[in-house]
Amino acid sequence: MTDDERLGELFRAAASDSAAPAPGFDHEAVVRTSRRITARRRAAVTVGGLALFAVVGVGGAIVLPRASGGGQDATVAAPMLAPEAPSADSRAQQQAPPPAAAEGAPGAGAAPDRREVAPAPGAAAVGGPPPLGPGTTECADRQDPALRAVVEEFLPEVIGAPEAAITMECRPGGERGVNLEVRDGSAAGVLTVQYLPPGTAIKPVEGAVSAPTASGGTVVVSTRGDGPDAPAPFADRLDTLVAQLAPRL
Amino acid sequence: MDDASEREFAEYFRARRDAVRRTAFLLCGDWHRADDHAQAAFVALHRHWRRIRDRAALDAWVRRTLVRSIVDESRRPWRRERATAEPPPDTGAVPSASEAVTTRHVLVDGLRAVPPRQRAVLVLRYLDGLDVAGTAAALGCSEGTVKSQTAHGLTALRAVLGDALDDLRPAG
Repeated sequence: MTDDERLGELFRAAASDSAAPAPGFDHEAVVRTSRRITARRRAAVTVGGLALFAVVGVGGAIVLPRASGGGQDATVAAPMLAPEAPSADSRAQQQAPPPAAAEGAPGAGAAPDRREVAPAPGAAAVGGPPPLGPGTTECADRQDPALRAVVEEFLPEVIGAPEAAITMECRPGGERGVNLEVRDGSAAGVLTVQYLPPGTAIKPVEGAVSAPTASGGTVVVSTRGDGPDAPAPFADRLDTLVAQLAPRL
Repeated sequence: MDDASEREFAEYFRARRDAVRRTAFLLCGDWHRADDHAQAAFVALHRHWRRIRDRAALDAWVRRTLVRSIVDESRRPWRRERATAEPPPDTGAVPSASEAVTTRHVLVDGLRAVPPRQRAVLVLRYLDGLDVAGTAAALGCSEGTVKSQTAHGLTALRAVLGDALDDLRPAG
């Protein structure tokens, strides 16, 4: 008997524990949990879509009248007499800044290992939706649909990304989390976003980026590639994502 | 899922549940956590059932999900494992190597001291009987990585168990 064969028998003997407890789950439990997660996910997508629609609708109603120049002067100038058309730069300045504007937030290019990004100044006070804050404190899986909806808002590439496998865990402090199997060009891996409520000890993993949130908690974002030396997807966008998430959590 | 898919999943679940539990047990060393991880893997499989077109690859898909779940859990700040060269305290005195209980406890406790990724390679190769290529496919890494992780894992296991590993006999 070779060494490999002997090790194989040892491993099989160790795992064939006749004193093992009866299985803690059956087919019905698996199907029930799967359907519950799917239903919750669909509800979250619907709510997220409605919230996005409401934000865009309200924002458009506020911004469009201002962009039209006040609307009191209805005089139309002839083309020859019209003032010089605004340059591309000035037009860009008149438009609302895209989410990527937070790339310039303080701390965006800090140390490579564990970085902390300061929230965009005043970002929470610009009429956006209220911060998400802590989630439920019941025992549930850690794929938080509300948090995922916010993440998808700022990182649309992950819409439809499958959830990475996780275990059921209790969240006594209302922690939120999302783990997604994502692909960024040729880089594939897992993107993890965590919201830790105020007072929760923070121990970010290597390479994670964190920032204080509008609700007083902390958002921690990390990514890792498939395999030991594989490139991590969206690694260059973690700072931006954290800066965008912080006012919303 | 339609009825035919549900039946297919039910058949696969019945056929593979115990094997997946055993793999999870050796990966994490605890039957209750093994149940959690195995259930999470089957829930994920049920949710992705229609998208997995290659039915011959189901085992590899579940293995990969299971290993990723357990390795990821070991990395989380609130449940991070620490590899140690010191054996667990209750395995200091190895009883008769002919006892099946001893084999189980010594090997499971020894595996706990092996880093999670190396442990996964050992379990897939020696419990599930995968070759280097199959293990690499299940873990999403290169065959060279599997070979080196196997060597490092066995070295770590021998460092913890010492001569006890050679004294163990598969029983039962």
